[in-house]
Amino acid sequence: MLVLKRKMNEEIIINSNIVVKILSVTDGQVKIGIEAPTEIEIFRGEVFEKVKANLISAAEKSKEKVAGITEFKINKLL
Amino acid sequence: MQSKMKLKTEQFGEIEYANENVIRIAKGLFGFENLEEYLLIKTDNTLFYWLNSIEEPSVAFPMVGINVLDDTYPQVDGTEPFGIVTLDKDPLKITVNMKAPLYINQDIKTGKQKILDREKYLVNYKLFVE
Repeated sequence: MLVLKRKMNEEIIINSNIVVKILSVTDGQVKIGIEAPTEIEIFRGEVFEKVKANLISAAEKSKEKVAGITEFKINKLL
Repeated sequence: MQSKMKLKTEQFGEIEYANENVIRIAKGLFGFENLEEYLLIKTDNTLFYWLNSIEEPSVAFPMVGINVLDDTYPQVDGTEPFGIVTLDKDPLKITVNMKAPLYINQDIKTGKQKILDREKYLVNYKLFVE
């Protein structure tokens, strides 16, 4: 892993078209601004990992035999 | 005439398909980035659809149309959002991934998975209630 030290308002340029800027540092929380082309997808790490784990589990459990679902109502998001 | 190909699925046995039936998902699904070609199979009498990988036929995802669950879900023009379902023997434990919808365009046979970074959309939203 490349490790760089940056101060407030300093930037990191990735691949000449992605700019990562340190906007503020307060109480152990860093605010980062990212400018990138729209095709570059940016996710919070923990959200991405959660989604991936859910898909792997969905693929594994796709072979489960399910019966009796007609007895239940669909849980509409309100 | 389109030549027919065959795919051996876990759920439906061997099914025939033509090239024009293939849904292409560039860069695949999250966690399955190497699988880019799928068949979308609608089951007769349930709300489930199946997304079956062509490249790895044992990989299949049950899905539901998210518009059935949520009238205000974010839409993408020309596509329908699908939620990937985690099955369970107990129907009350079946969940839908509302956070990472797969938007499928049935006309041009493409799909794109997104992540909606909003707290109200859970990765394990309960599909059924009593």
